[in-house]
Amino acid sequence: MTIYNMYIFDRNGTCLFYQEWQRNKSSGMPQEEEFKLMYGLIFSIKSFVSRMSPVDFKDGFTNFNTNFYKLHFFEPPSGLKFVLNTSLNVESLRESLQYTYNSIYVEYVVKNPLCSLNAPIKSELFKEKLDTYIRGLPAF
Amino acid sequence: MHYRNLIISKLEQMGCRVGQSLSERFTRDSPRFGSELDIIKFICKEFWVGTFKKQVDNLRTNHLGVYVILDSRFKLLTHMSAGDQYLEAAPKYLAYTCGLVRGALASFGINSVVTAEVSSMPSCKMSV
Repeated sequence: MTIYNMYIFDRNGTCLFYQEWQRNKSSGMPQEEEFKLMYGLIFSIKSFVSRMSPVDFKDGFTNFNTNFYKLHFFEPPSGLKFVLNTSLNVESLRESLQYTYNSIYVEYVVKNPLCSLNAPIKSELFKEKLDTYIRGLPAF
Repeated sequence: MHYRNLIISKLEQMGCRVGQSLSERFTRDSPRFGSELDIIKFICKEFWVGTFKKQVDNLRTNHLGVYVILDSRFKLLTHMSAGDQYLEAAPKYLAYTCGLVRGALASFGINSVVTAEVSSMPSCKMSV
């Protein structure tokens, strides 16, 4: 079980944070472009899923699999987007992403008056806490 | 630079006013203090618990009226950084607390000068 990489986007599609732990193949494009592509994908899937759903549902889009990896998605009501790529055999990481939001993002970014909320996160403390948490997950 | 000092002293004044009223409230049921040390101890225990939900970690004095209060996990700084990042912004977030302490002391009849310094981020040192 492996965790490959993580993206955090804000409501407007700015990539606030990106980190990779294990990524063997690069996308072959500048990082900025990759962020836009990723956000576009998430955005489209979200609207696709909500239009095509035959029933009313609460959670919306939570994850998808390809043959080789699994993408987990979590969106708190404020519209932030947490995206995490892992290998296929990982269970739902919804709670972990929720924890990342509640106890890491809110604590060390929102409660830090020196961090601006719609620019990439610079706080070292945040990065450190997030890294420790992800490395500590059983799925890592 | 002048403007910045003005802001800091304004924050300090606001803290001072709040510190005075807080100390009135926290000492409502406690007996009178015997000495200056008792007052400082009160600041480190009840007053700090009342405002920051924890006690001061260390208190030192030279017995000539200078006290050093050391809080190794200062509440207002713990969310910011755990090292040198943002160090230059720290004084702005301490001015109010300096005022709190000065105000509390003033309401017990002690005139003082309180300054704070931060050498590494969540810990903070205040000299009275």
